[in-house]
Amino acid sequence: MEGPRYKAIGALKSTVIHAFLISVTLTCLFPLFWMVRCSLMTNQTVFTDKTFIPKDLHFSNYVQAWVDGGFGIYFLNSVVYTVSVVVGIVLIASLAAYAFSRLKFWGKNFFFGMFLAAMMIPLPGSFVPLVVLMNKLGLANHRIGYILCMINVGLSMSILLLKTFFDRTPQDLEDAARIDGCGRLGIWWHVALPLARPAIAVIVIFNSLSVWNEYILATLLLNDKTLMPLQRGIMVFQGVHSVDYPILMAGLTIAATPIILIYLAMQRHIIKGLVEGATVQ
Amino acid sequence: MKKILIGLGLCAAVGVFLLTSSGCGKRQEDLNTITVWHWMTDRNKALEELASKYEQQTGIKIKIDLFAPSESYTQKVVSSAQSKVLPDIYGILDKKEVFAAFIKSGFIADITADFKANNNEWENQFFPKALDVNRFTEGNVYGVKAGIYGVPLDVTTIEMLYNVKLLKKAGIKAPPQNFSEFLEAIHALKRVGVSGLVSGWGELWMIDSFASNYAFNIMGEEKVMATYRGEVPYTDPDWIKVLDVFKQLVDNGALIEGVVTKPNKYAEQDFALERAAFAFNGSWCVNVYNDMNPNLEYGVMLPPLANSNLPMKIWGGAGSSFVVNNTSPRKDKAIAFLKWLSAKDQQAYLAKATKNLPANREALAEIPEVLSAFASSMDQVTHPTVWSLNENPVVSEAFLKGIQSILIGEKTPQQIAQNVQQVKQEQLAKKKK
Repeated sequence: MEGPRYKAIGALKSTVIHAFLISVTLTCLFPLFWMVRCSLMTNQTVFTDKTFIPKDLHFSNYVQAWVDGGFGIYFLNSVVYTVSVVVGIVLIASLAAYAFSRLKFWGKNFFFGMFLAAMMIPLPGSFVPLVVLMNKLGLANHRIGYILCMINVGLSMSILLLKTFFDRTPQDLEDAARIDGCGRLGIWWHVALPLARPAIAVIVIFNSLSVWNEYILATLLLNDKTLMPLQRGIMVFQGVHSVDYPILMAGLTIAATPIILIYLAMQRHIIKGLVEGATVQ
Repeated sequence: MKKILIGLGLCAAVGVFLLTSSGCGKRQEDLNTITVWHWMTDRNKALEELASKYEQQTGIKIKIDLFAPSESYTQKVVSSAQSKVLPDIYGILDKKEVFAAFIKSGFIADITADFKANNNEWENQFFPKALDVNRFTEGNVYGVKAGIYGVPLDVTTIEMLYNVKLLKKAGIKAPPQNFSEFLEAIHALKRVGVSGLVSGWGELWMIDSFASNYAFNIMGEEKVMATYRGEVPYTDPDWIKVLDVFKQLVDNGALIEGVVTKPNKYAEQDFALERAAFAFNGSWCVNVYNDMNPNLEYGVMLPPLANSNLPMKIWGGAGSSFVVNNTSPRKDKAIAFLKWLSAKDQQAYLAKATKNLPANREALAEIPEVLSAFASSMDQVTHPTVWSLNENPVVSEAFLKGIQSILIGEKTPQQIAQNVQQVKQEQLAKKKK
């Protein structure tokens, strides 16, 4: 008698869970769908057409967004900034985290505490000092200046995540590598980094997202249009009082696509990395 | 090995790109290139076209740099001022205190002499109210040397708009002139199922503008200033009348649903899509309505008078202005460019291309009809930035939030007046201490 009852409860549970997950998925996907929908309309129909899928699709909005927004150079800039900053963060953060986790040196806890403290400073609070510093160093309005600032912004969180990960990694593998003649850097490169792949995936996706979408610091540090990231192109469609919604949405779709692709490519590692990196021993 | 080589190759390529394309190394100071920083996304294209025309005419290159939104732009200007790397021409979007602080720090050039040259030739081209925002009078509270420190690019006015088609549908032949006619029009509109007034009263400054229009109309500027000085209480019958304007709007069902939480962007959508017959909005709406509904037929009117003995004053003045960097080695060339930019032909071009009101009144003849209607009220324009003094922000907030309470039917005008007066007395006592 109990078999069908348990089956029924199981089916009910599964239905509730699936209904919940489907509603969460729809909530997440609906804004993206709406963005694409609006990007295919005109500025008039975007306010009047209530249909779910518009009758007339204006794919030319994408061409207009690309041309009017000057997306060509901005896109290239954003790719360069994102790749350079993420590579920089992964290299520096993994070296620093490995040192904090494995080496014994004077002031280790103090320096680690300083990195954590840096996370507490809200980014806008550091804007003015950063601009003044970059101007003094002659790095304002230079790609390298912006990249260095963005690496600095992403370091603290990445070091914390990787250090926690390294703390949980057994030392036996490193001992074996040492017996085989590996030095500190060799162990970091051949053992620690490959093991930390899930945590690195999380760092890559989080920092890619933050660099790709960053605009305020770029506005403050860079003056030349040719140095600006993709978000500058999107701003062109937001007037002081009026907004060209379809072109703006087309621009946003273009800007969001690479980051969605990165997320899809790395999603396997993200949950694993977050769970393993977030558990502090 | 292959992977390492590919990685190194990529790194080298990125490095070369960064070094060669970011302009590493000190740039030569170019005395024939004027840099302009602005925040006006909708005017960028037109400004760039004018800049290229200027270069063709004079050989002076004008570099137009856009930084938007305005919050980021303001941060950029402040941080650049601290680093002393401001451009030749820029704009101050902050309050007049910040404008004054920039002048006192030597970041803004006094261009009074240029305005006054040849019998005020340049000054006379502008609406006087447009220049007032950039003018510091003798003995001003900011301690700035009297003079003109900025060049207005365009002007704005905040007025009432009416939908021609909806008024006709309700049998209203002419837009209402006074408040009782306005309420009659509201009833007529209600009979044909049309909402009355829409405005972005979710934004306090929009309520401030409307309330201040009626305060000036009901009691006159002097009494308003006397209230700010603490000489007239908010419980004065005239202030109750001002608050009662809002109560009457509510009691007569004149307002569109949700007006008290509506941002102006949504209010603009409502009027553009003909969901309300009247709107209270600024002249920038010409651009907005044109984008949303190019076939919208509408007219411009002053807010209907509550007191026929005093004129209606509306908010307006310089919309956006440019200042010249006092430390720039190209200061004179920058002023010459601004003179050219504010001349009749360029102003008419800007007005046509961007649908903004020109600051140069000589350009009025060549602008679209609806913009002319806005411009015709320039004589009735006033603005808090040109008043002799402003209300304490705490009192002002209590007053405006009180109006929102009236709009949602929570409190009466008398209750709000007493509450605001209490806050005023507390602030006056604090000031005395």
